[in-house]
Amino acid sequence: MFLVTVILVLQEILEAALIISVLLSLTAYFRRYWGEDFTLGHGWIAPSLVLGSIGAWIYAAYTPVVTLWFDYVGLEIVNALIQILIIIFLLCLCYGFNLKRLRDLAWFNLFVGSCIAMVVALGIIREVSEIIIYCQGILSQPNNYSPVLLGSFIALGIGASSGIILYYLLTNSPGAWGLRLSMLLLALYAGNMASQASLLLIQADWLPYTPELWDSSFLIPEFTVTGQLLYALIGYEANPSVLQAGLYSFALLIILGSPLFRMCWQHKTTPISLK
Amino acid sequence: MKSARLTTSPLQRTILLLLAISVSMKLWAADQEIEIVIRDHLFFPSMIEVPANQKIRLLIINEDPTPEEFESYELNREKVIPGNTRTVIFIGPLAPGEYPFFGEFYPRTAQGRVIAR
Repeated sequence: MFLVTVILVLQEILEAALIISVLLSLTAYFRRYWGEDFTLGHGWIAPSLVLGSIGAWIYAAYTPVVTLWFDYVGLEIVNALIQILIIIFLLCLCYGFNLKRLRDLAWFNLFVGSCIAMVVALGIIREVSEIIIYCQGILSQPNNYSPVLLGSFIALGIGASSGIILYYLLTNSPGAWGLRLSMLLLALYAGNMASQASLLLIQADWLPYTPELWDSSFLIPEFTVTGQLLYALIGYEANPSVLQAGLYSFALLIILGSPLFRMCWQHKTTPISLK
Repeated sequence: MKSARLTTSPLQRTILLLLAISVSMKLWAADQEIEIVIRDHLFFPSMIEVPANQKIRLLIINEDPTPEEFESYELNREKVIPGNTRTVIFIGPLAPGEYPFFGEFYPRTAQGRVIAR
Protein backbone atom coordinates (compact mmCIF):
# COMPACT_ATOMS: atom_id res chain seq x y z
CA MET A 1 0.00 0.00 0.00
CA PHE A 2 2.94 2.28 0.83
CA LEU A 3 4.59 1.91 -2.56
CA VAL A 4 1.28 2.24 -4.44
CA THR A 5 0.63 5.51 -2.58
CA VAL A 6 4.11 6.90 -3.32
CA ILE A 7 3.79 6.13 -7.06
CA LEU A 8 0.22 7.39 -7.33
CA VAL A 9 0.72 10.64 -5.44
CA LEU A 10 4.05 11.30 -7.17
CA GLN A 11 2.48 10.87 -10.61
CA GLU A 12 0.00 13.61 -9.82
CA ILE A 13 2.38 15.88 -7.91
CA LEU A 14 5.22 15.86 -10.47
CA GLU A 15 3.17 17.58 -13.17
CA ALA A 16 1.96 20.26 -10.75
CA ALA A 17 5.49 20.76 -9.38
CA LEU A 18 6.83 21.15 -12.91
CA ILE A 19 4.41 23.86 -14.00
CA ILE A 20 4.75 25.74 -10.69
CA SER A 21 8.58 25.72 -11.06
CA VAL A 22 8.43 26.84 -14.68
CA LEU A 23 6.05 29.71 -13.87
CA LEU A 24 8.05 30.72 -10.77
CA SER A 25 11.18 30.74 -12.93
CA LEU A 26 9.45 32.82 -15.61
CA THR A 27 8.20 35.42 -13.12
CA ALA A 28 11.71 35.56 -11.62
CA TYR A 29 13.11 36.26 -15.10
CA PHE A 30 10.41 38.85 -15.85
CA ARG A 31 11.42 40.60 -12.66
CA ARG A 32 15.09 40.39 -13.59
CA TYR A 33 14.55 42.02 -16.96
CA TRP A 34 11.64 44.31 -16.31
CA GLY A 35 11.79 44.50 -12.53
CA GLU A 36 10.96 48.19 -12.12
CA ASP A 37 7.70 47.89 -14.01
CA PHE A 38 6.89 44.29 -13.31
CA THR A 39 5.80 44.35 -9.71
CA LEU A 40 4.14 40.93 -9.75
CA GLY A 41 6.99 38.83 -8.34
CA HIS A 42 5.95 35.55 -6.78
CA GLY A 43 2.83 36.93 -5.12
CA TRP A 44 0.57 34.74 -7.29
CA ILE A 45 1.74 31.48 -5.75
CA ALA A 46 -0.18 31.62 -2.44
CA PRO A 47 -3.60 32.54 -3.90
CA SER A 48 -3.27 29.93 -6.65
CA LEU A 49 -2.37 27.19 -4.14
CA VAL A 50 -5.30 28.13 -1.90
CA LEU A 51 -7.74 28.39 -4.82
CA GLY A 52 -6.46 25.11 -6.29
CA SER A 53 -6.74 23.24 -2.98
CA ILE A 54 -10.28 24.46 -2.28
CA GLY A 55 -11.25 23.65 -5.86
CA ALA A 56 -9.71 20.18 -5.57
CA TRP A 57 -11.73 19.39 -2.40
CA ILE A 58 -14.95 20.55 -4.04
CA TYR A 59 -14.23 18.64 -7.26
CA ALA A 60 -13.34 15.48 -5.32
CA ALA A 61 -16.58 15.76 -3.33
CA TYR A 62 -18.67 16.08 -6.51
CA THR A 63 -16.78 13.46 -8.55
CA PRO A 64 -19.46 10.75 -7.94
CA VAL A 65 -22.07 13.16 -9.36
CA VAL A 66 -19.93 14.39 -12.27
CA THR A 67 -19.18 10.75 -13.23
CA LEU A 68 -22.86 10.27 -14.18
CA TRP A 69 -23.07 13.34 -16.45
CA PHE A 70 -23.24 13.00 -20.26
CA ASP A 71 -24.14 9.31 -20.14
CA TYR A 72 -21.34 8.34 -17.70
CA VAL A 73 -18.51 10.26 -19.39
CA GLY A 74 -18.85 13.45 -17.31
CA LEU A 75 -15.41 13.08 -15.71
CA GLU A 76 -13.67 13.00 -19.07
CA ILE A 77 -15.59 16.06 -20.27
CA VAL A 78 -14.96 18.15 -17.13
CA ASN A 79 -11.28 17.12 -16.95
CA ALA A 80 -10.82 17.93 -20.64
CA LEU A 81 -12.53 21.29 -20.04
CA ILE A 82 -10.11 22.06 -17.19
CA GLN A 83 -7.18 21.28 -19.51
CA ILE A 84 -8.62 23.40 -22.31
CA LEU A 85 -9.03 26.28 -19.83
CA ILE A 86 -5.36 25.87 -18.83
CA ILE A 87 -4.38 26.21 -22.50
CA ILE A 88 -6.61 29.30 -22.84
CA PHE A 89 -4.96 30.99 -19.84
CA LEU A 90 -1.51 30.09 -21.21
CA LEU A 91 -2.52 31.66 -24.53
CA CYS A 92 -3.77 34.80 -22.73
CA LEU A 93 -0.40 35.03 -21.00
CA CYS A 94 1.70 34.39 -24.11
CA TYR A 95 -0.32 36.56 -26.48
CA GLY A 96 -1.35 39.26 -24.03
CA PHE A 97 2.09 39.94 -22.62
CA ASN A 98 3.09 43.36 -23.82
CA LEU A 99 6.08 45.34 -22.57
CA LYS A 100 4.51 48.71 -23.40
CA ARG A 101 1.40 47.93 -21.40
CA LEU A 102 3.61 46.75 -18.58
CA ARG A 103 4.88 50.31 -18.22
CA ASP A 104 1.57 52.03 -18.75
CA LEU A 105 -0.88 50.04 -16.73
CA ALA A 106 -0.72 48.80 -13.19
CA TRP A 107 -3.51 46.31 -13.81
CA PHE A 108 -1.40 44.60 -16.42
CA ASN A 109 0.58 43.00 -13.61
CA LEU A 110 -2.73 41.76 -12.27
CA PHE A 111 -3.61 40.33 -15.69
CA VAL A 112 -0.33 38.42 -15.96
CA GLY A 113 -0.60 37.30 -12.34
CA SER A 114 -4.18 36.11 -12.81
CA CYS A 115 -3.33 34.08 -15.92
CA ILE A 116 -0.44 32.38 -14.13
CA ALA A 117 -2.44 31.80 -10.93
CA MET A 118 -5.34 30.28 -12.90
CA VAL A 119 -3.03 27.87 -14.77
CA VAL A 120 -1.62 26.63 -11.45
CA ALA A 121 -4.99 26.53 -9.65
CA LEU A 122 -6.67 24.56 -12.47
CA GLY A 123 -3.71 22.16 -12.63
CA ILE A 124 -3.95 21.57 -8.89
CA ILE A 125 -7.73 21.03 -9.01
CA ARG A 126 -7.33 18.20 -11.51
CA GLU A 127 -4.23 16.56 -10.00
CA VAL A 128 -4.96 16.94 -6.30
CA SER A 129 -8.64 15.94 -6.52
CA GLU A 130 -7.48 12.52 -7.70
CA ILE A 131 -5.14 12.21 -4.69
CA ILE A 132 -7.99 13.22 -2.36
CA ILE A 133 -10.34 10.60 -3.87
CA TYR A 134 -7.66 7.92 -3.52
CA CYS A 135 -6.79 8.86 0.07
CA GLN A 136 -10.41 9.14 1.19
CA GLY A 137 -11.17 5.68 -0.17
CA ILE A 138 -8.11 4.00 1.19
CA LEU A 139 -8.24 5.70 4.58
CA SER A 140 -11.70 4.24 5.17
CA GLN A 141 -9.76 1.14 6.22
CA PRO A 142 -7.94 2.09 9.45
CA ASN A 143 -4.94 -0.24 8.98
CA ASN A 144 -3.97 1.73 5.87
CA TYR A 145 -3.52 4.94 7.84
CA SER A 146 0.24 5.03 8.40
CA PRO A 147 1.46 3.59 5.05
CA VAL A 148 -0.80 5.96 3.10
CA LEU A 149 0.09 9.06 5.10
CA LEU A 150 3.80 8.22 5.05
CA GLY A 151 3.66 7.42 1.33
CA SER A 152 1.85 10.69 0.58
CA PHE A 153 4.37 12.74 2.55
CA ILE A 154 7.33 11.05 0.87
CA ALA A 155 5.80 11.55 -2.59
CA LEU A 156 5.03 15.15 -1.71
CA GLY A 157 8.65 15.57 -0.58
CA ILE A 158 10.08 14.03 -3.76
CA GLY A 159 7.71 16.09 -5.91
CA ALA A 160 8.49 19.34 -4.12
CA SER A 161 12.26 18.66 -4.21
CA SER A 162 12.11 17.94 -7.95
CA GLY A 163 10.27 21.22 -8.42
CA ILE A 164 12.81 23.15 -6.35
CA ILE A 165 15.75 21.56 -8.21
CA LEU A 166 14.14 22.41 -11.55
CA TYR A 167 13.48 25.99 -10.39
CA TYR A 168 17.12 26.52 -9.39
CA LEU A 169 18.37 24.87 -12.58
CA LEU A 170 16.16 27.15 -14.66
CA THR A 171 16.96 30.35 -12.79
CA ASN A 172 20.71 29.68 -12.68
CA SER A 173 21.30 28.60 -16.28
CA PRO A 174 23.92 30.59 -18.18
CA GLY A 175 22.84 33.58 -20.29
CA ALA A 176 19.27 33.60 -21.48
CA TRP A 177 19.07 29.79 -21.59
CA GLY A 178 17.12 29.49 -18.35
CA LEU A 179 14.46 31.82 -19.71
CA ARG A 180 14.42 30.01 -23.06
CA LEU A 181 14.18 26.62 -21.42
CA SER A 182 11.36 27.83 -19.13
CA MET A 183 9.39 29.05 -22.15
CA LEU A 184 10.07 25.80 -23.99
CA LEU A 185 8.79 23.78 -21.01
CA LEU A 186 5.72 26.04 -20.89
CA ALA A 187 5.03 25.32 -24.58
CA LEU A 188 5.51 21.57 -24.00
CA TYR A 189 3.12 21.79 -21.05
CA ALA A 190 0.49 23.33 -23.32
CA GLY A 191 1.09 20.47 -25.78
CA ASN A 192 0.76 17.97 -22.92
CA MET A 193 -2.57 19.52 -21.87
CA ALA A 194 -3.89 19.37 -25.44
CA SER A 195 -2.78 15.75 -25.76
CA GLN A 196 -4.40 14.76 -22.44
CA ALA A 197 -7.63 16.63 -23.26
CA SER A 198 -7.88 14.96 -26.66
CA LEU A 199 -7.24 11.53 -25.14
CA LEU A 200 -10.06 12.12 -22.63
CA LEU A 201 -12.46 13.21 -25.36
CA ILE A 202 -11.55 10.15 -27.46
CA GLN A 203 -12.12 7.97 -24.38
CA ALA A 204 -15.55 9.60 -23.98
CA ASP A 205 -16.26 9.06 -27.70
CA TRP A 206 -16.65 12.82 -28.20
CA LEU A 207 -13.69 12.85 -30.58
CA PRO A 208 -13.29 10.21 -33.29
CA TYR A 209 -10.91 7.29 -33.23
CA THR A 210 -7.77 7.81 -35.27
CA PRO A 211 -5.04 5.21 -35.81
CA GLU A 212 -1.99 4.96 -33.60
CA LEU A 213 0.83 7.16 -34.91
CA TRP A 214 3.69 5.21 -33.35
CA ASP A 215 4.42 2.68 -30.62
CA SER A 216 7.58 3.32 -28.64
CA SER A 217 6.55 1.16 -25.68
CA PHE A 218 9.39 -1.28 -26.49
CA LEU A 219 11.86 1.62 -26.14
CA ILE A 220 10.46 3.65 -23.21
CA PRO A 221 7.44 1.98 -21.61
CA GLU A 222 5.11 4.48 -19.91
CA PHE A 223 5.10 2.62 -16.59
CA THR A 224 8.89 2.98 -16.09
CA VAL A 225 10.43 5.86 -14.10
CA THR A 226 11.80 7.37 -17.34
CA GLY A 227 8.38 7.05 -18.96
CA GLN A 228 6.62 8.70 -16.03
CA LEU A 229 9.18 11.52 -15.84
CA LEU A 230 8.90 12.15 -19.57
CA TYR A 231 5.11 12.07 -19.26
CA ALA A 232 5.19 14.79 -16.59
CA LEU A 233 7.89 16.81 -18.36
CA ILE A 234 6.84 16.70 -22.02
CA GLY A 235 3.58 14.72 -22.06
CA TYR A 236 5.25 11.57 -23.39
CA GLU A 237 2.89 8.89 -24.71
CA ALA A 238 4.19 5.53 -25.92
CA ASN A 239 1.33 5.00 -28.39
CA PRO A 240 -0.43 8.27 -29.26
CA SER A 241 -3.16 8.47 -31.87
CA VAL A 242 -2.82 10.71 -34.93
CA LEU A 243 -5.36 13.18 -33.52
CA GLN A 244 -3.67 13.31 -30.12
CA ALA A 245 -0.23 13.96 -31.62
CA GLY A 246 -1.74 16.52 -34.01
CA LEU A 247 -3.41 18.52 -31.24
CA TYR A 248 -0.23 18.29 -29.11
CA SER A 249 1.81 19.77 -31.96
CA PHE A 250 -0.86 22.42 -32.62
CA ALA A 251 -0.86 23.69 -29.01
CA LEU A 252 2.94 23.54 -28.89
CA LEU A 253 3.29 25.55 -32.11
CA ILE A 254 0.77 28.18 -31.01
CA ILE A 255 2.85 28.89 -27.89
CA LEU A 256 6.13 28.77 -29.86
CA GLY A 257 4.70 31.36 -32.25
CA SER A 258 3.51 33.71 -29.50
CA PRO A 259 4.98 37.21 -28.93
CA LEU A 260 6.07 36.27 -25.40
CA PHE A 261 7.98 33.22 -26.67
CA ARG A 262 9.72 35.26 -29.37
CA MET A 263 10.55 38.01 -26.88
CA CYS A 264 12.06 35.55 -24.41
CA TRP A 265 13.87 33.48 -27.04
CA GLN A 266 15.52 36.49 -28.71
CA HIS A 267 16.68 38.01 -25.44
CA LYS A 268 20.42 38.04 -25.83
CA THR A 269 21.43 40.13 -22.83
CA THR A 270 23.07 38.41 -19.90
CA PRO A 271 20.69 38.35 -16.95
CA ILE A 272 21.00 40.98 -14.28
CA SER A 273 21.20 39.43 -10.84
CA LEU A 274 18.08 39.54 -8.67
CA LYS A 275 17.98 42.56 -6.41
CA MET B 1 -0.13 10.02 -53.48
CA LYS B 2 -2.42 8.77 -56.22
CA SER B 3 -5.55 10.01 -54.49
CA ALA B 4 -4.59 13.56 -55.44
CA ARG B 5 -5.31 12.66 -59.06
CA LEU B 6 -8.87 11.58 -58.32
CA THR B 7 -11.04 14.47 -59.43
CA THR B 8 -14.69 14.23 -58.42
CA SER B 9 -17.76 16.27 -59.24
CA PRO B 10 -19.76 17.91 -56.40
CA LEU B 11 -22.48 15.26 -56.87
CA GLN B 12 -19.98 12.43 -56.52
CA ARG B 13 -18.50 14.10 -53.47
CA THR B 14 -21.93 14.42 -51.88
CA ILE B 15 -22.68 10.74 -52.55
CA LEU B 16 -19.30 9.76 -51.13
CA LEU B 17 -19.90 11.90 -48.06
CA LEU B 18 -23.34 10.38 -47.49
CA LEU B 19 -21.86 6.91 -47.92
CA ALA B 20 -19.13 7.72 -45.42
CA ILE B 21 -21.68 9.07 -42.94
CA SER B 22 -23.93 6.04 -43.29
CA VAL B 23 -21.00 3.67 -42.86
CA SER B 24 -19.80 5.53 -39.78
CA MET B 25 -23.37 5.59 -38.40
CA LYS B 26 -23.51 1.83 -38.88
CA LEU B 27 -20.19 1.44 -37.10
CA TRP B 28 -21.45 3.72 -34.34
CA ALA B 29 -24.64 1.73 -33.97
CA ALA B 30 -22.62 -1.45 -33.77
CA ASP B 31 -20.78 -0.31 -30.62
CA GLN B 32 -20.81 -3.36 -28.44
CA GLU B 33 -21.28 -2.94 -24.71
CA ILE B 34 -19.40 -5.10 -22.25
CA GLU B 35 -20.01 -5.01 -18.52
CA ILE B 36 -17.24 -5.33 -15.94
CA VAL B 37 -17.96 -5.40 -12.21
CA ILE B 38 -15.46 -4.37 -9.53
CA ARG B 39 -16.05 -6.30 -6.31
CA ASP B 40 -13.58 -6.74 -3.40
CA HIS B 41 -10.92 -5.01 -5.54
CA LEU B 42 -11.22 -7.61 -8.30
CA PHE B 43 -12.53 -7.32 -11.86
CA PHE B 44 -15.40 -9.66 -12.89
CA PRO B 45 -14.81 -10.95 -15.50
CA SER B 46 -11.07 -10.37 -15.44
CA MET B 47 -10.70 -11.62 -19.01
CA ILE B 48 -12.92 -10.13 -21.69
CA GLU B 49 -12.99 -11.11 -25.31
CA VAL B 50 -13.93 -8.42 -27.79
CA PRO B 51 -14.15 -8.38 -31.57
CA ALA B 52 -11.09 -6.76 -33.16
CA ASN B 53 -11.40 -3.54 -35.18
CA GLN B 54 -14.57 -2.48 -33.45
CA LYS B 55 -15.29 0.21 -30.91
CA ILE B 56 -16.39 -1.17 -27.53
CA ARG B 57 -18.35 0.55 -24.77
CA LEU B 58 -17.08 -0.75 -21.43
CA LEU B 59 -19.64 -0.30 -18.66
CA ILE B 60 -17.75 -0.57 -15.39
CA ILE B 61 -19.78 -1.02 -12.21
CA ASN B 62 -17.88 -0.42 -9.00
CA GLU B 63 -19.72 -2.33 -6.28
CA ASP B 64 -17.02 -1.59 -3.71
CA PRO B 65 -17.53 1.36 -1.37
CA THR B 66 -13.98 2.50 -2.21
CA PRO B 67 -12.94 4.25 -5.44
CA GLU B 68 -10.84 2.53 -8.08
CA GLU B 69 -8.91 3.78 -11.10
CA PHE B 70 -9.19 1.80 -14.33
CA GLU B 71 -5.84 2.04 -16.05
CA SER B 72 -4.25 0.48 -19.10
CA TYR B 73 -1.09 1.64 -20.82
CA GLU B 74 -1.78 -0.66 -23.78
CA LEU B 75 -5.33 0.63 -24.27
CA ASN B 76 -4.21 4.19 -23.45
CA ARG B 77 -7.04 4.58 -20.93
CA GLU B 78 -7.25 5.96 -17.38
CA LYS B 79 -10.32 6.80 -15.32
CA VAL B 80 -11.29 7.14 -11.68
CA ILE B 81 -14.45 5.28 -10.68
CA PRO B 82 -15.89 6.42 -7.32
CA GLY B 83 -17.24 3.80 -4.93
CA ASN B 84 -20.77 2.42 -5.50
CA THR B 85 -21.09 4.01 -8.90
CA ARG B 86 -20.87 3.09 -12.57
CA THR B 87 -19.03 4.58 -15.50
CA VAL B 88 -18.37 4.15 -19.20
CA ILE B 89 -15.05 3.94 -21.06
CA PHE B 90 -14.86 3.59 -24.83
CA ILE B 91 -12.02 1.44 -26.16
CA GLY B 92 -10.86 0.45 -29.62
CA PRO B 93 -11.13 -0.26 -32.47
CA LEU B 94 -8.36 -2.64 -31.44
CA ALA B 95 -5.95 -4.68 -33.52
CA PRO B 96 -6.04 -8.38 -32.59
CA GLY B 97 -4.01 -8.97 -29.44
CA GLU B 98 -3.94 -8.82 -25.66
CA TYR B 99 -4.38 -5.60 -23.72
CA PRO B 100 -3.81 -5.81 -19.94
CA PHE B 101 -5.61 -3.41 -17.60
CA PHE B 102 -5.47 -2.91 -13.84
CA GLY B 103 -6.95 -0.98 -10.96
CA GLU B 104 -4.36 1.62 -10.05
CA PHE B 105 -5.63 2.01 -6.48
CA TYR B 106 -5.44 -1.76 -5.79
CA PRO B 107 -2.98 -3.02 -8.43
CA ARG B 108 -2.10 -6.22 -6.56
CA THR B 109 -5.57 -7.71 -6.91
CA ALA B 110 -7.38 -5.67 -9.55
CA GLN B 111 -5.92 -7.13 -12.77
CA GLY B 112 -7.52 -8.04 -16.05
CA ARG B 113 -7.05 -8.23 -19.77
CA VAL B 114 -8.93 -7.47 -22.95
CA ILE B 115 -8.42 -9.97 -25.75
CA ALA B 116 -9.28 -8.68 -29.20
CA ARG B 117 -9.91 -11.39 -31.82
